[in-house]
Amino acid sequence: MSTAPALKMPSVAPRKPETPEDEVKSVKMKAAGVNVHYGDTWAVKNVNLDVMKEDVTALIGPSGCGKSTLLRCFNRMNDTIPGCRVTGNITLDDTPIYGGNMDVVQLRARVGMVFQKPNPFPKSIYDNVAYGPRIHGLARKGAETDEIVQTSLERAGLWEEVRDRLDEPGNALSGGQQQRLCIARAIAVDPEVILMDEPCSALDPIATARVEELIYELRGRYAIAIVTHNMQQAARVSQRTAFFHLGELVEYGSTEHVFTDPSETRTRDYITGRYG
Amino acid sequence: MSRVFDPVLRNLRELALRMGSRSEAILDKAMRSVFERDASLADEVRDDDLEIDRLDVEIDNEVLKTLALQAPVAEDLREVLAIKMIANDLERVGDLARNIAKSSKRLSLHPMTLIPRTLRELARDSQSQLSEALNAFGSTDAEIARNVLKDDETIDAEEDVIIRAALQAIPKHPENASEAVDMILIAKHLERVADHATNIAESVILVAEARNVKHAMKLAR
Repeated sequence: MSTAPALKMPSVAPRKPETPEDEVKSVKMKAAGVNVHYGDTWAVKNVNLDVMKEDVTALIGPSGCGKSTLLRCFNRMNDTIPGCRVTGNITLDDTPIYGGNMDVVQLRARVGMVFQKPNPFPKSIYDNVAYGPRIHGLARKGAETDEIVQTSLERAGLWEEVRDRLDEPGNALSGGQQQRLCIARAIAVDPEVILMDEPCSALDPIATARVEELIYELRGRYAIAIVTHNMQQAARVSQRTAFFHLGELVEYGSTEHVFTDPSETRTRDYITGRYG
Repeated sequence: MSRVFDPVLRNLRELALRMGSRSEAILDKAMRSVFERDASLADEVRDDDLEIDRLDVEIDNEVLKTLALQAPVAEDLREVLAIKMIANDLERVGDLARNIAKSSKRLSLHPMTLIPRTLRELARDSQSQLSEALNAFGSTDAEIARNVLKDDETIDAEEDVIIRAALQAIPKHPENASEAVDMILIAKHLERVADHATNIAESVILVAEARNVKHAMKLAR
C-alpha cells in the first residue's frame, strides 16, 4: 500500500474517553489517514477511525458519503474494483492489512462481511455454513463440521428454525432467515471482526428486529462495524457512531453522545433530518 | 430545516407557551383576589385552571404522538422532553393558583385582616420568576434561565419571614389563627410556584446546552 498523499484535510479531533469503560477498551482495527479514489473521484478523505474490540461501531451518513467504501477497505473488498485506489494505513491488531505479507483470503476469514442483500450460496443450509470452515481447513471430520454448523446457526439465532431441514436449499429460506444464514456463514470461520453493509435494508421490520437482536448478542464476541441508513437502528445497536459527509469523517464518538448532543452542526442536521 | 418535524415542534412549543401565559394569568388573578379581597376572582381561578388542565392533556397527547411518529433525536428530543416536563410544572402552577384562591375566599370573609408587605414582595418575586423562566423557554436562552436559578434563595427567605410572622401572631391573636394559617399556606404555594419556575429554567438549560442541572447543588455535596 502506498503512503497517503500529502492532502490537507481537517481531521476529527479524538474525543476524550467519556466513560471509564472507554479507557480500557482495545482497538481491533485502526484506519489512519485512509483515502480512497475511484478513478478521479475522491470517495474517502483522510479518515482516521478505530473499530473497538468490544463495540458495535455504526457508520452513518448520506448516500455517497464514503461509509460503505471505507467499510469495504477493512477486509480489502475494494481490491476487486477496477480503478479503486486505497492509500493510508489500516491495521488489524496492529498488523497492516495492506502489507505485502497479508494473505487476503485469511484476512477475509478474520474480517467477515455481511451484505445488504442476503446472498446465500446455491447450496443447502448446511453447506452454506460448512463451506468456509472446509476451505479454511477449520474442520477435518464430519463431526467437527457438524459442531461448527450447529454452533454458528445457534449464534445466528437460526438453529431452532432450520435444525430439521439442513439439507434444504439456503435460498428457500425467508429473507430474514437468509440474512441470518449469511451471518452464520460469516461466523463459521471464527472471525474476529464482522462488517455489515446495510444488513437489514432488504428485510421487513420483524426480520430487522431479529437481526438487530442478533447484533446485540454477538457484541463482545466479535468487533462489529455496521453501515446503516436507519438512524434509529444505529442508535439501538451501536455503542459508537461515526458520521460521514462527502467522504470526510465529520464526527466520531459514543452513540449516546452523537444522538443526544452531537458536537458538529453537520451531524446534528443529518440526524435530525435537516440535512440538505 | 425539516419540513415534517419543524411544524410539529412549533405546534408543541406554541401549546406550551400558551399554557405558560395562562399559568401566569391565573396566578396573577389568584393573587389579586387575595390583595383585593375579591371572592369572585377566586371563583374565576377555578374555571381558568380547567383550561390549563385541558392544555396539559393536549400536550401529553402531542408529545406521545411526536415520540412515536417522529422519533426525534438530539436537540429535538431534548426539546420535546423539556416541553413535557414544563407542562407538568405549569399544570402544578395552575393547581397552586387554585389553592391560593381557596385561601383567598376564606380570607375575603375577614376583610380587616392585614396582608403583610412581605407577601406582596413574595408574590411579585414568584410571579417574576415564573415569567422569566417562560421568557427563557420562549427564546431558548440559557443565560436567562441561569438567572432564574440564582434568584431562588430570595424567595425562600421571604417565605420564611411570612411563616415566622404568622406563627408569632397566632398565640397573640388566637381568634385570627385561621387567617394566619392561610397566610402560611399562600406563602408556601408561592414558594412552590418559584420552585416550578426553577424546574422550567432547568429544562431550558437541558434544551440549550444538553446539560442536566437538576439538583446540581445537592448532588455536588
